[in-house]
Amino acid sequence: MAKERILKGIAVSKGICQGVVFVYETKEVKILQTPIPVRYLATEVERFAKALKKTEKELSSIKERINEEIGVDFAQFLDAQILMLKDREIIETVSERIKTEKTNAEYIYHEVLDEYARKLGASRDQYLRERVADIWDVGTRVLRNLVGMTHSSVVDVPQGSVLVAHDISPSDAALINPINVLGIAIEVGGRTSHTAITARALEIPAVVGVENLLTKIKNGEKVILDGNRGILIKSPTPGRIQFYRGEIKKEIEYQKMLSPFCELPAKTRDGRQIDISANIEFFVEYAHAKRSGAMGIGLFRTEFLYLTRRGNPSEEEQFRVYDELAKKMKPDPVIIRTYDLGGDKIFSDYHEANPFLGWRAIRVSLDNFDFFKIQLRAILRASVNRNIRVMYPMISTYEEIREANAYFKEVTEELKKEKVDFDDHIQVGIMVETPSAAIMSTEFAAHVDFFSIGSNDLTQYVLAVDRGNERVSHLFDHFHPAVLRLIKQVIDAGHKSHIWVGLCGELAADPLAIPLLVGLGIDELSMSPVAIPKAKMVLRALTVPECEKIAERALNFRCASEVQKFLNRMIAKRFPGIGGIK
Amino acid sequence: MIKEKVTILNENGLHALPASRFVKQAEKFKSDITITKDGVEVSGKSIMGILTLACEKGSNVILTTEGDDEKEAYEVLKKILEGQD
Repeated sequence: MAKERILKGIAVSKGICQGVVFVYETKEVKILQTPIPVRYLATEVERFAKALKKTEKELSSIKERINEEIGVDFAQFLDAQILMLKDREIIETVSERIKTEKTNAEYIYHEVLDEYARKLGASRDQYLRERVADIWDVGTRVLRNLVGMTHSSVVDVPQGSVLVAHDISPSDAALINPINVLGIAIEVGGRTSHTAITARALEIPAVVGVENLLTKIKNGEKVILDGNRGILIKSPTPGRIQFYRGEIKKEIEYQKMLSPFCELPAKTRDGRQIDISANIEFFVEYAHAKRSGAMGIGLFRTEFLYLTRRGNPSEEEQFRVYDELAKKMKPDPVIIRTYDLGGDKIFSDYHEANPFLGWRAIRVSLDNFDFFKIQLRAILRASVNRNIRVMYPMISTYEEIREANAYFKEVTEELKKEKVDFDDHIQVGIMVETPSAAIMSTEFAAHVDFFSIGSNDLTQYVLAVDRGNERVSHLFDHFHPAVLRLIKQVIDAGHKSHIWVGLCGELAADPLAIPLLVGLGIDELSMSPVAIPKAKMVLRALTVPECEKIAERALNFRCASEVQKFLNRMIAKRFPGIGGIK
Repeated sequence: MIKEKVTILNENGLHALPASRFVKQAEKFKSDITITKDGVEVSGKSIMGILTLACEKGSNVILTTEGDDEKEAYEVLKKILEGQD
């Protein structure tokens, strides 16, 4: 029997699974030039036509999947790819050249695409330059089919698979079907990579950054993926399998114990209601959010709409997604956060040394009003459902709020002129995730309808720690008194101006943090759907006066570990019912 | 044959989405359809050809339709170029 081997990576999505490796090849296709004897030329042209047919089938099924995933007819961009595939000019040129040059289809097709790609790549127009990626997306599919490469698509992964790859592109990530894919392991990436975000959204375990993964693992191997510890176990020993069976069983029992809390109101023992809502990435997650007992969507991330589409979706495409989500959640609120994209995700030729301090989120949106306007119009049109709220990410200055509000107003006037209906009383809020926004929250509160504290980024910026950097990530701790004091400041500032204050970072789902946040007066906690039942259970064991006492003391420690020690002790003592939950 | 100058007024230029609409419509007609820009002529039924013309908003092209249904083809396709479909 093969020897057990443990491959280490970064744990980015919790859970444990046992499955069979499915290697998703993203390697380049090798194109060789081969002469074709005259009597086989017709067969060669036929072979080319067959590869096109097969590819068309693939694209259609991908389109179907994306539409299902996002909920509405969002995958129109694939129509352009299908048209590229069926382009007469290309098919005629390729078929003709196979015959005249007596050369194999792969080689000629590659040459012809290369000419088009070069023409588009040389265009002054950004959008056209980006279509080169579409050409090669389609082209690579056809070439793979021509050379008979298998596993060309994440769509046809068999049931019970652990998906293994060098990397997974955003458009492929959107296609991962959690029914078939039990877990994901990739060679590259960190906590914030698309793969990590997708895995957390789909609630399947994932480990990223596993060095030389593809040289160590083969298709069809049996493995255990442990997303809690960040390891992939190759050829596990019977003892190991036994151990993990126990772990999986415990996890299932724990979920069973929590499930009754989904239905219960999110209230403390003495009756204070805290709105518990869900952070979601994809439209389809609304169902899970509702099932878990979410009282709304506290954060709908819109980046995936952009990344899946590899470009700005049209107003109509965005509107359909927002409108559908609003309808499904009615009458509960849906907070749509405008694009939180880095400049490098939008402009392929743009790179920066320090993206976290760079051109991203609202900064990019304000600098590209045409692009921002499409999103605002789509959000406003969907607000006819009367439950949509809008939120700007990464606000750091007063001018940004003023500018965003001015643009927002411009768009509303435009809609009024066009006699398009929208919610005149739509709430407009900001994420408080930069130290400056937290410190200036008293001034900012006068210009917005709510604050949502993004505790992950706030912690990162306040402590000057990149949590993705292994050497310093131990310094990242959202219980640091510096972070907690700022959170208090923001909540107090909001309440003084009579606006509500929520929190949508990982802190919101931390059982240790909930009593503290309730004590500080938080109005809303938004978290991933899976965390909701536990948060409700914790909340229902608390009383406000006790939480207030805890909060008062927690803020006066010198460091995060003292705060944590104190919180652990308090919870064990005052709320024995929720002790030991973590 | 109908051959006339059209100015691209579609907000996004003749980029992928309008271009795919254009090609899908063009394919419905029997007529030969071409677009010419700066002396380069491409088939109106080829998305790659159209994309390589790089028609931004405001650019002028010559739309030609020739065949039994040239009149209807011209009317429908002109609207797409002008962003009125």
